[in-house]
Amino acid sequence: MNAIEKQLYAKPRSNVYIYIISAILIGLIIGSVFVIDFESMGNSGWTIAKNILLGIVTPDLDLLLNFTTQGVMYLLLETIAIAFLGTIIGVLLAIPLAFLSASNVVPKPISWITRLLLIVIRTIPSLVYGLMLIRVTGPGPFAGVLTIAIVSIGMLAKLFVDAIEDLDTSIFESMTSIGCTTFEKIRFGIIPQLTAMFLSIGIYRFDMNLREASILGLVGAGGIGAPLIFAMNSYRWNEVGSILIGLVILILIVEIWSNNMRNKLVRG
Amino acid sequence: MIEFTNVDKVYPNKVKALQNINLKIEKGEFVAVIGLSGAGKSTLIRCINRMHDITHGSLIVDGTDVGKIKGKEIRNFRKRIGMIFQSFNLITRTTVIKNVLVSFVPQLPFWRKMTGLFSKRHKLKALTALDQVGILDKAYVRVDQLSGGQQQRVALARTLAQNPDILLADEPIASLDPVTSKQVMDDFQRINQDMDMTVILNIHHVEVALEYADRIIGVREGQIVYDGPAHDVTEEVLDYIYKGKAEEVKQEMDEEGVYV
Amino acid sequence: MFDKIFPPEKIVLPNGKTVLEKRSRTPLLFIIVLLGTFLSIRFTNFDFNVLVKRGHEFFVIINDMIPPKWDYFPSIWQPLLDTIMMSILGSTLGSLVSIPVAYLAATNMIKNKVVVMVARLFLSILRTMPTLVSALIATFIFGLGTLAGTVAIFLFTLAYVGKLLYEQIENASLDAFEAMESIGMTRVQAFRYAIFPQVLPNYLSTSLFCFEGNVRYAAILGYVGAGGIGLLLNEGLGWRDYASVGMVLLMLAITVFLIETVSEYFRKKLI
Ligand SMILES: Nc1ncnc2c1ncn2[C@@H]1O[C@H](COP(=O)(O)OP(=O)(O)OP(=O)(O)O)[C@@H](O)[C@H]1O
Ligand SMILES: [Mg+2]
Repeated sequence: MNAIEKQLYAKPRSNVYIYIISAILIGLIIGSVFVIDFESMGNSGWTIAKNILLGIVTPDLDLLLNFTTQGVMYLLLETIAIAFLGTIIGVLLAIPLAFLSASNVVPKPISWITRLLLIVIRTIPSLVYGLMLIRVTGPGPFAGVLTIAIVSIGMLAKLFVDAIEDLDTSIFESMTSIGCTTFEKIRFGIIPQLTAMFLSIGIYRFDMNLREASILGLVGAGGIGAPLIFAMNSYRWNEVGSILIGLVILILIVEIWSNNMRNKLVRG
Repeated sequence: MIEFTNVDKVYPNKVKALQNINLKIEKGEFVAVIGLSGAGKSTLIRCINRMHDITHGSLIVDGTDVGKIKGKEIRNFRKRIGMIFQSFNLITRTTVIKNVLVSFVPQLPFWRKMTGLFSKRHKLKALTALDQVGILDKAYVRVDQLSGGQQQRVALARTLAQNPDILLADEPIASLDPVTSKQVMDDFQRINQDMDMTVILNIHHVEVALEYADRIIGVREGQIVYDGPAHDVTEEVLDYIYKGKAEEVKQEMDEEGVYV
Repeated sequence: MFDKIFPPEKIVLPNGKTVLEKRSRTPLLFIIVLLGTFLSIRFTNFDFNVLVKRGHEFFVIINDMIPPKWDYFPSIWQPLLDTIMMSILGSTLGSLVSIPVAYLAATNMIKNKVVVMVARLFLSILRTMPTLVSALIATFIFGLGTLAGTVAIFLFTLAYVGKLLYEQIENASLDAFEAMESIGMTRVQAFRYAIFPQVLPNYLSTSLFCFEGNVRYAAILGYVGAGGIGLLLNEGLGWRDYASVGMVLLMLAITVFLIETVSEYFRKKLI
């Protein structure tokens, strides 16, 4: 079979995949329409939707610009603190785990066990960790920090491993020719490569953790989530509006900053 | 001075990469090693700074018996020999000057190794090396923002900063375009002439080799099949090195009295 | 900015040439991180002693989860199915709706700056809203149950896929598009035949990737009453019936793992 024929036969096969995926999808969608319960929406739904929208466009400015411990600003700061400290602890925990699961660093069985452990850690939802950790620390932001740290480990370690396995080892050759010891090769050949990558990964995860931290209040683990839910449950939509506005602006700013920083770190 | 006496090199997989090499290179020579792919050019060059161990024979570099040294002695020995690679082998995610400073790493005191802070003296040396290859203005730019030719010059500066007696280069221009290649080769020539540094390089571009080198060494199947001044290299000699019309060329060379 | 406060140092080479060395940012960065850590510790009442003294409590719960309560399985699979269905429907609808929105947010398709800005702002705001918060709001509007969860997933998918899609549309080659426009097709038609085929594989792969993540999110939406397996988690944790929680988590882990493996396989085939 020459190259052109191969190409000819190769093309329809990828279409087959698309057909299979589409068929499965359509089947599943039809199935899910039966499962989803469309009856639940009562008549009051639209009124509430209108109230929520109204609340959001006429936020409670006092609350938004209030600098006491009850104000949105303080709560946002607390959320940032939870995400920040959680990320730092997560990074510290993830680095050894990453090396333990890099197959070019440790023996195969160890790397397999570590990877399995990381998968398990990753699948447990953050709220479950939150509830478990509250038993340790009592309700409050402390539990939030620990939760964020644990939920970050899985992804951080995975990305770190990718960076480790992606290392450019050609520099070793030239460092050998200069007369460097193994320690010197790691210190001046590997660490400069890894710090930029690790920092960039850490910042990326901080961005995600900020979102994560904003819902932990739901289980009493601190941050802006709790006041948000209280406000919702008591239908104080203006408060909901001001909290949401604060949150959205903060997350957007952090996202822009994080993208900029990471671009600088990776591309220079 | 570099002196190979009856050197053999057999790789662990039984490949005989070098056979019975006898070679003498004086200080300040500019030597180009040419030959087919797999002929053993890289192996020859890498034996000189003990990146590869020789299997048999003796290799003396500036009075050091390269086959006999071990551990720390090897590392100290390597500091006197600079090496340039085809793929530049730089840390692309840091600045140019940090890459050049790497050449001082082996001589740093412990605390500097830990903190990665370099002394003013070392920085000045590194900058001077960058100036010598004409990219002083790029000192604080990240390496991944440089062109291939500029990156090879960073590698060259890193080697110069080491202040070696001998400069080895394994296909330094193989990944560069002709114009950039010329610039890099000019750098080599200048370094060779101004600093009286021995330069030994592997190269696939025969015309370039003939233009710049004083002496050409032809390697085929692990043996030296030609060794003589660049201006004596004829079409026939090249045929012999690259294709192996052994008899004809040998005859001719015997007639001309060229040493084989 | 930084260079103004800490002006670069001038280094003079022996031969008289000068270079400007920018001050290293590392020390400043180090101080900021240290300060941030310190402040965060104060803010969050982080206390290492508590961790040492009471850390074992965490493992007490994990201990209670093992072994999981196997005969809880019959009551799990229905909500688990709900969760998956919620993710599928929400992800599919979200991906579909993201196409027109991404079209509106792409500068090379829409010349009107206001439309582009509004579309982008809409996507950004939706994307920053944590799924759980939108689910919570949805429960007020659509009542407790799977519909609210589906809406939340739909919104997040719309925002996520929409953003990546408009970036891809902007990077697509316009040659064929311009050619088709010149033979009299409308912009939308030209988009359909010239741009969409270019971005299709990536679009499908992004949608699948988003779907994978959505299964995880869907699992906790039940916690706020938005249907699915989260409801069981909420109950089990509330009653401190950790063996059941263990069973739910186990099933969830297996499901997520299977879905990720299958979806990853198809994603690799697509690109
Ligand atoms: N590390 C190694 N282990 C085993 N065999 C090797 C090794 N390096 C090289 N060889 C073999 O030794 C012989 C000479 O290789 P060498 O790399 O010296 O050739 P070369 O002339 O530099 O070729 P090229 O021009 O392609 O770089 C080849 O047959 C090669 O396969
Ligand atoms: Mg070679």
